[in-house]
Amino acid sequence: MAAALPGSRGPARPSPRRPLGLAPTGVLVLGAIYTLFPVSWVVVASTKSEGELFSTSTFAPGTGLLSNLADLFAYRDGVFWLWLLNTLLYAGGGAVLSTAVSTISGYTLAKYSFPGRGLIFNLLIGGILVPSVVLAIPQYLLFSKAGLAGTYWSVLLPQILHPYSIYLARIYSQAAVPGSLLEAGRLDGAGEWRLFQRVALPLLTPGMVTIFLFQFVAIWNNFLLPFIMLGDDQRFPLTVGLYTLLAAGAGQPSLYNLIITGTMLSLIPLIALFLTMQRYWRTDLSGGAVKS
Amino acid sequence: MRVNRLALAAVAILTAALSTACSGGSDEPSGEAASQSAAPAGPVKLTYWTWVPNMDKIVAVWNQAHPDIQVTVSKQAGGDDAAAKFLTAAKAGNPPDLVQAEYQMLPSFVAADAVADLKAETAQAKAEFGEGVWGLVTLGTDAVYAVPQDSGPMMLYYRKDLFEKYGIEVPKTWDEYAEAARTVHKKDPKVFLGTFSSKDPGWFAGLSQQAGAQWWSISGDAWRVAVNDEATTKVASYWGGLVKEGVIDGMPYFTPEWNKALNDGKLLTWPSAVWGPGVLSSNAPKAAGKWAVAPLPQWNAGENHSGFWGGSSTAVAAKSPNKAAAATFATWLNTDPQALGLLIKEGAVYPASAKGAALMTEAPDYFSNQPDFWKQAADIGATARGFTFGPNVNVTYNAYRDAFDKAVADKSDFAAAVQGMQDATVADMRKSGFTLAQ
Amino acid sequence: MRSTKTGARAGRAGHAGRAGAVPYLFLAPAMALFTLFMALPIGYTIYLSLRRTRVSGLGLGKGARTEVFAGLANYAAAVGDGELWAGWLRVLGYGALVLALMLGLALVFALMLDTAHVRLARLTRISIFLPYAVPGVAATLMWGFLYLPSLSPLGEHSFLSADLVTFSMANVAVWGGTGFNMLVLYTNLRAVPREYYEAARIDGASELGIALRIKIPILVPSITLTTVFSVIATVQVFTEPTTLRPLTNTISSTWSPLMKVYRDAFVTGDLYSAAATSIVIAGISLVLSFGFLRVVKNHAFGES
Repeated sequence: MAAALPGSRGPARPSPRRPLGLAPTGVLVLGAIYTLFPVSWVVVASTKSEGELFSTSTFAPGTGLLSNLADLFAYRDGVFWLWLLNTLLYAGGGAVLSTAVSTISGYTLAKYSFPGRGLIFNLLIGGILVPSVVLAIPQYLLFSKAGLAGTYWSVLLPQILHPYSIYLARIYSQAAVPGSLLEAGRLDGAGEWRLFQRVALPLLTPGMVTIFLFQFVAIWNNFLLPFIMLGDDQRFPLTVGLYTLLAAGAGQPSLYNLIITGTMLSLIPLIALFLTMQRYWRTDLSGGAVKS
Repeated sequence: MRVNRLALAAVAILTAALSTACSGGSDEPSGEAASQSAAPAGPVKLTYWTWVPNMDKIVAVWNQAHPDIQVTVSKQAGGDDAAAKFLTAAKAGNPPDLVQAEYQMLPSFVAADAVADLKAETAQAKAEFGEGVWGLVTLGTDAVYAVPQDSGPMMLYYRKDLFEKYGIEVPKTWDEYAEAARTVHKKDPKVFLGTFSSKDPGWFAGLSQQAGAQWWSISGDAWRVAVNDEATTKVASYWGGLVKEGVIDGMPYFTPEWNKALNDGKLLTWPSAVWGPGVLSSNAPKAAGKWAVAPLPQWNAGENHSGFWGGSSTAVAAKSPNKAAAATFATWLNTDPQALGLLIKEGAVYPASAKGAALMTEAPDYFSNQPDFWKQAADIGATARGFTFGPNVNVTYNAYRDAFDKAVADKSDFAAAVQGMQDATVADMRKSGFTLAQ
Repeated sequence: MRSTKTGARAGRAGHAGRAGAVPYLFLAPAMALFTLFMALPIGYTIYLSLRRTRVSGLGLGKGARTEVFAGLANYAAAVGDGELWAGWLRVLGYGALVLALMLGLALVFALMLDTAHVRLARLTRISIFLPYAVPGVAATLMWGFLYLPSLSPLGEHSFLSADLVTFSMANVAVWGGTGFNMLVLYTNLRAVPREYYEAARIDGASELGIALRIKIPILVPSITLTTVFSVIATVQVFTEPTTLRPLTNTISSTWSPLMKVYRDAFVTGDLYSAAATSIVIAGISLVLSFGFLRVVKNHAFGES
């Protein structure tokens, strides 16, 4: 288990006979430069004022960071903060609910055998094949019929079910929860819910963290569903809010410097989240494939 | 046997799921549903979708003065998506009470039965507007589907300083414009007199209007579609020739690339609309005082025509429970002097109403070198001619983008692209069952 | 019914195979969500796909537009539209490019991270993973700026010209997805007991030989799975071309199949055609999914 944590080093290894020298490090550094390049551009561009954005050389820092921040925060009386809070609510709430549903579903699919298991699993995971663009409008029309369109629920509820997360939860359950432990619990007379709660959940925690992060990012980045569902800009998440700055309407300029500054700021919470949680999660997709 | 049991189990689960979900739904009434059903008591509450900057500040003034009709602004993304979103909301039965409607989209809204007829409520407002712009909200019928807000008569923006540098005169005709394009490009191959934007069908429609195009018209009980009429084909071939020759660029407007070109002085003209100063000052702030306006070049010397690019109106949703209140607000917003003043100052809007245009006295900061900016604009506005928009402008506009994207990239025949627009428009109308005149 | 009864008796007996109603109860939330937010919308889409609007006369005024049953006309139009198939072809080319580059790079980076004596491992790992946290729209906006000839620090190449636009789009996807796949493969490698390699080293295998002959075979199941998930994501490509489209005239409104659905539904307002096209796309995906589910079963749930 410890070896699966990305942060930990394996036991001391004897030096190889034919070391590859600095080549691996070089390759990785090149990769890091490639990935950091556009991000660093956003950071630099957010310091540029309106005029500088399109006139100074690309990686020359500008002088407008403070005024960009001030403009962004003053825009529509600080609606940016509201968008940020909404996004946290959608992504946080949605990810918590999604993790709960995915974990218990994956656990059930992995640890019980019952009629219809295959069918239910195929149905749930088959959802990954239906793109969100296809679902968004029918979902909107149905939510409207229920009188829920435009509410927080209309963005939260459809994003709870996530086939990929259920799939992961099933893999983790299979690898991390030994059947013998459950059997022992049953012999002691523990109920199924109690078994899940007391035996399985603690073992599944790393997997749940992973699912939470996946879902958090997926909802944080989602654009189309909230765009269609929400009419009131006080309920927009960041993606939709920033889009209203980009598509400002015919005859209105796109507020590029606000968009770039907003994008830069919106990356910070996600990066912070990953840095703090990277120790607890695992992305070992095929679970115990090797171990068994 | 197994299948049966399985099916039974599945049905049991689904039924349970449905019943819990349904009861769950009614247990938690949504804020919006609740506020709508509880409308009669207290002040009338209206929602308003718009993308005019600072509209909330303008609405705050109204709310202060009208405690019985409270309007809430929800700022939306502009453009095609905005219309699609409103149409979807209207179809679903929960549109906002008020919506900003671009003139070209209004027929689509009417055809979808999404906006209300305001004839009775706007009887007095009619006198405030010119005949041309009023026609855009009546669609030539007896009904009134919106109150005009702003309009966009087109004019030519040009870099005065660079015109002097390259030794060219302000072109009076499109022939002179073409000649100037050649001169500029010859003197500096990196500089262009202008660019043809394959992303802005509204711009192309305005140029076609100037040439006398009538893309749609109603004859009796049938639509006549003539996107490929002589005037439009002439405009397209003109620009296609210049793009092919390489003296006019093919980069789209409103992109970062275009902003950069404006900043660097690589683009010398922009045939645009009266709202141009807002875009220029935001995208090319350093060129303030270097731009000037003139009437669009003409097709024949001595003529005096212009077209419209953009402009929008305030419409009331057909499903709004408070149509009268909404119409009152829409009328106030677009005809009351105080509201017009705010629209100009806060919203950077060029009002469509005559009273509003009269309020425009001080030239925009960006054009401080041209103190008579608004007088010029008003004179040019008087020469602008529009046309009736059809019920599927979105199809035509989308066809414009796809066809001209290709034509510009391949430097192929622009007239063929116009024919593509015509074919797409007619095919769509035929498919829906509109009666078409031959 | 029978199963529920026996289940109630057997539940306490403590055999996982006969837990009775418990698994169904545990799965109830997921099934409820599935029914409400997947099955129902899909059903509604099918309903819409069989209908169309019928306009009479000018189409203005009340009642001029009605919704009528259209039979399979929308499907005929969707299947008969050459643009849809051209879109599939474009997406296939794009997808092959993305998959090869993204998974190739992910594998190389994962193997490099797992070699002995690599420096800056933690820093480079996080850096390469970082793009995963960047929303697709933001990523495309960033690259969009960097691609524009006059703004680009990459030199005055026309990255968005007809020749290069597919590569430029693929680059955005590769940039965003490599880190995630790298981490999946890397964590998998870390789970391998070190003794596997020791034996090989004693036999005189080089680091490269170990990578090729031991590590890659170990990773095969993971690579298969990441491939399957990546294929599904690539077929659904939508954000990158849609966001880049305003910047260039080389991406049409029907560049990918999903863009066509979006165009019909949102731009030209023909919900019914969009619904039919959606069903066609879902059908094609379903065909892919049979292979997909088979792969998933064989590699991860051999026993089930």
